[in-house]
Amino acid sequence: MLELKDIHGGYGKITILNGVSFTIPRASITTVIGPNGAGKSTVFKAIFGLLNIHSGQILLDGTDITRESPRQMIGHGVTYVPQGRNVVPQLSVYHNLELGGITAPDQAQVRRRIETVMEQFPILRTFRDRKAIELSGGQQKQLEVARALLLDPKLILIDEPSIGLSPNLVQEVFRTLQSLRDQGVTILMVEQNAKAALAMSDYGLVLELGQTRMHDRAATLLADPRVGRLFLGGQIGDEG
Amino acid sequence: MAQFLQVLLSGLSTGSIYALAAIGFTLVWQAAQTVNFAQGEFVMLPAFFVLIGVHWLGMPLWLALIFGLILSMIVLGLLFKVLIVEPMLPNGGLPLIIATMALSILLKEGTKQFYGAEAQPYPGLFPQATMTLGGAVISVQDVMNLLVSLAIVVGLTLFLNRTRTGRCMQATAQSPAVAEILGVNTRRMVLYAFLINAALAALASFLISPIYLAKFSNGENLGLIAFIAAIIGGFNQIRGAIAGGLLIGVLDNLTATYITAEYRAAIPLILLIAVILWKPEGLLGTSEGRNV
Repeated sequence: MLELKDIHGGYGKITILNGVSFTIPRASITTVIGPNGAGKSTVFKAIFGLLNIHSGQILLDGTDITRESPRQMIGHGVTYVPQGRNVVPQLSVYHNLELGGITAPDQAQVRRRIETVMEQFPILRTFRDRKAIELSGGQQKQLEVARALLLDPKLILIDEPSIGLSPNLVQEVFRTLQSLRDQGVTILMVEQNAKAALAMSDYGLVLELGQTRMHDRAATLLADPRVGRLFLGGQIGDEG
Repeated sequence: MAQFLQVLLSGLSTGSIYALAAIGFTLVWQAAQTVNFAQGEFVMLPAFFVLIGVHWLGMPLWLALIFGLILSMIVLGLLFKVLIVEPMLPNGGLPLIIATMALSILLKEGTKQFYGAEAQPYPGLFPQATMTLGGAVISVQDVMNLLVSLAIVVGLTLFLNRTRTGRCMQATAQSPAVAEILGVNTRRMVLYAFLINAALAALASFLISPIYLAKFSNGENLGLIAFIAAIIGGFNQIRGAIAGGLLIGVLDNLTATYITAEYRAAIPLILLIAVILWKPEGLLGTSEGRNV
């Protein structure tokens, strides 16, 4: 589905990614974990055309999409939900959803899709005319996820969906992602809440210093003591 | 009462033209974080484009107005963005501010050299007649200026809120990074903001020049008032710019009529100081500002 081959890249002359390679299969959830500064969010930006890629190749279903723009990526069926709050604050919930389908040529279809996603996220129907900034943090995150679904994506890149959410809401977001996976959507997620995220994922990917250190089934990574040490602040190469 | 009504309407009329310039100020700020200190000259110059159309190219007034509007959008919208804002913006806000100050001087002095220092008679758009309303004698020009300005503001508001392009412009202004990842053509939206600003400045120029005449130095006062109107209304809100412009227009007229004409120029400055001291986000502004 998605394959990264030895990606090197960064911001201007600063290199953040020093050789990231992995493949993720269709209709799966893969969680990217790693210490701060490992380049987790940067990988997403590289995939979505927001980063200067120095070398390497990104393939989506065998098609080379390296260095394509965000608009082109949306055309390929890829959507990106960045870290933090990403709503347009003064626009209504409905108009935020509409923006999720702004690149679609058939706006009547977008309006139908808005109705469909509002069925999946009933709270958005309740607040459809309310300004996005007036929603709670969890509701805003639901709006972002719903907006990412507007064009029926093949691949969703979602960065830190649990930030600022209560444990209940985190579980709700995770359940939504699993449900999307069951419908055939591929999900690549960065998550600080690594154990919980791996527990609901199919695959896991460990990044460190801008390189892929481990890539395996999520359950295998959860059972690996080296991953445990990583979460306690050590590095994978450390002996103790 | 009749006199008050007369003064109020006249103030609203002038204030609504200030509001057009102030809205443009706000739009350009929101779209590209550009504080345009040449905004006053942007209102001064289009009147001269119309005069060139009428006197040099022999156009009828209606055609000269269209010519002036289009030329303004090209020179004060497109070229301003491409030649000044885009090259300067990566260097930070201060160099750009200084560049717009330099542009202000260039436009002012250039107009003086090109067209002369004397105030030029400017053709009126509306009849120089008066009408009586509630005992007050009201200038038809004032009423029409107010109605046309309000129509422009309503049209712009409808465009921004009721069209997808308008909402994309709002998204670009409020959350440019979000707009980009959603596939909004943010560069085009920023260009639209500059073009609209130029069009608003041109329309303000067409409305105010029959009153002030066309003079190279008109921009000094207009730019200052537009800037103050945008700040006191709330720099991040179009409705704030409207309120600020109307407030200054009305207070200016009321002061000149009931207190003293000598200190009328101080009114916007006093308002500015008061707002900065007690409500720095502006009368209708929001404190969250602009998130990038």
